[in-house]
Amino acid sequence: MGIYKYAVLGGACALASLLNLCVAAKADDATITVWSQDRDVRPAPNLIADYNKLNTGIKVEYREVPFDDLVNEALRAYSTGQAPDIIAVDNPEHALFASRGAFLDLTDRIAKSTVIKPEVYFPGPLASTMWEGRHYGVPKATNTIALYYNKDMFKAKGLDPDRPPQTWDELVDAARKLTDPAANVYGIAFSAKANEEGTFQFLPWAQMAGASYQNINTDGAVKALDIWKTFIDERLASPDTLTRGQSDSTATFNSGNAAMAISGPWELDRMVAEAKFDWGVALLPVPEEGAERSSSMGDFNWAIFSSTKHPDEAFKVLEYLVSQDHRMFRDFGLLPARTDIPFAETGEPLKDAALKVFLEQLKYAKPRGPHPEWPKISKAIQEAIQAALTGQMSSREALDQAAKKIKVVLG
Amino acid sequence: MKGILSSFVDGKGFDISLVALPLTFLLTLSGLPLIYNVLMSFQQVDLFSLGTFWRPFVGLKNYAELFAQPETWPIFANTAVFVVSSIAGQFLIGFGLALFFWTNFPGASWLRGLFLVSWVMPGLVVGAIWSWILSGDFGVLNFLLRESGLTDGNVFWRSDPNYSLWGVILANIWFGTSFNMILLSVGLSAIPTDLYEAAELDGANAWQRFRTITLPMMRSSIGAILALGLIFTLQQFDLFAAITNGGPNNSSNVAQYWAWELSFRQYDFAKGATVSVIMIVFVVLASIVYVRSTRHEVRR
Repeated sequence: MGIYKYAVLGGACALASLLNLCVAAKADDATITVWSQDRDVRPAPNLIADYNKLNTGIKVEYREVPFDDLVNEALRAYSTGQAPDIIAVDNPEHALFASRGAFLDLTDRIAKSTVIKPEVYFPGPLASTMWEGRHYGVPKATNTIALYYNKDMFKAKGLDPDRPPQTWDELVDAARKLTDPAANVYGIAFSAKANEEGTFQFLPWAQMAGASYQNINTDGAVKALDIWKTFIDERLASPDTLTRGQSDSTATFNSGNAAMAISGPWELDRMVAEAKFDWGVALLPVPEEGAERSSSMGDFNWAIFSSTKHPDEAFKVLEYLVSQDHRMFRDFGLLPARTDIPFAETGEPLKDAALKVFLEQLKYAKPRGPHPEWPKISKAIQEAIQAALTGQMSSREALDQAAKKIKVVLG
Repeated sequence: MKGILSSFVDGKGFDISLVALPLTFLLTLSGLPLIYNVLMSFQQVDLFSLGTFWRPFVGLKNYAELFAQPETWPIFANTAVFVVSSIAGQFLIGFGLALFFWTNFPGASWLRGLFLVSWVMPGLVVGAIWSWILSGDFGVLNFLLRESGLTDGNVFWRSDPNYSLWGVILANIWFGTSFNMILLSVGLSAIPTDLYEAAELDGANAWQRFRTITLPMMRSSIGAILALGLIFTLQQFDLFAAITNGGPNNSSNVAQYWAWELSFRQYDFAKGATVSVIMIVFVVLASIVYVRSTRHEVRR
């Protein structure tokens, strides 16, 4: 068996060396495994295929893990000593691994690196990769949420399509004017679902009003939740907002059943294809003129597991991945998490205009956490949103209860 | 030596080896995880101690904490409502259909086979379809209710805390009815027809025949189907994941979905195991009913 295997290998090498492909393949080649949820049109598999073509002597193997299984698989693999070398992890879950020493501390390597420079990143994404002042990863890409609006409906209802709502009051006002039950049109679509999406959508509102997850029951946050309640109670948004994710909510905007939608840049390609009307994107409205802006921050971070046997090689692969950040816009329709990459036109005017707004909104994006027990904090916030919106508690009571639960988690 | 060998060919040894094989299989694949689960509910389980077997014991702390949470009792109450209503709906409609097809009109067996389509569909597909049917704004169910004049406005089956659990129950009844029907049909066809002929000659009417012949003859079938129904409804997870995610505000959350949520969403594996142990108690009770009701079938 062994002899046969080597014979085949030798044969393959002899053949390949004719084509000049076997030169770099040495006996001590390191193999680096990478896990992410990216499917074929997304960055990870494509960048890795390109890297393998460079024949650096490091072979990279890619495994696609579905989003729902990623953390569980990684935890199981890590606790049984079979973790991959590199993983792309959802940013609120980064701290869970980093705080337990499951990720490699990259601070010293980054300091020496000519490719990875922390200062070029947006502060939000960068903060999500850090734990106690040390670097445990690098942002892979980023996203945030802003307000999509249907310009045709704005015109039809006598609103100025070039002046989207700036403040919460204006937003509620616009939603009231745009809601048209006879035509099956809701004023606004968003997601208050009892999973991470609900937290992702609500936190920016609370943060704009001066609250934070450590301090969620402020007057501002109560006002924010009251406004959400107004949307639901006055049927300015569908009651199914409570059980519908962002993608399904935005689909109602695309089909003309909602006049505004709060969602992220991941919707752009679908919207360009589906929406048969003129639309635009605006920054999230603020509590009042001149108030602090905020938004949430999504997408994944690269990290190296501390259990890797080839930390140097893994870091080299990471450097390559980072060096390709400029391809994020055009090749993959994602926002790089960096300020030093010039915006690349995609050739689709609606999409380009929207991407510029998202880039502006990104400056105010804040990470969720970072905290190793983020899922529990998030759960408390989701429960508050749902308790208030279903009318089982007042916004104040619901957020007080959430604050109490979060306090237990924070210790 | 020869004796042992021959006992394997025909005798006790053969019987024992026949039993031992599935028993080993059962113990390793069902028994061990079960014990592991019970053990975990008494331990302090940490994300990073998942791979180890011996973790610090905390006694009943997980149980105490669980019952201190405000959502615990409502969720167990939901589970009871879900199980009882689902089984009642599935059984009554299933029995009705079984009796209907028993009359053996032309094409009855063919139609009965078609009903099984709902049972062979994957739960997540059924859930996705019902999620559309129950959708508030553009759902088919709301359209039917509105057009037939039964309701004025749209009922938000998935998002109204008063209806969300019932939305899932509705889907689950549809899902499980055909299975009930098939098992009950088998029971019905096993009843000898001469019993009915004799009763008819004695002047018993349809209701009397049903009450004094069909029901008593069906006792073991009914016991088995109710016990299986309890197990299947306590296993029902896909519909919750696809339709409501247990929301809004836990109004449609049940123990089995909650156990998963605790373990794999909040990474609180000990609490997830604790909820599972509580469910195991109920499933064991159901299994006892099932075993008892099918036991005399074996003796016959």
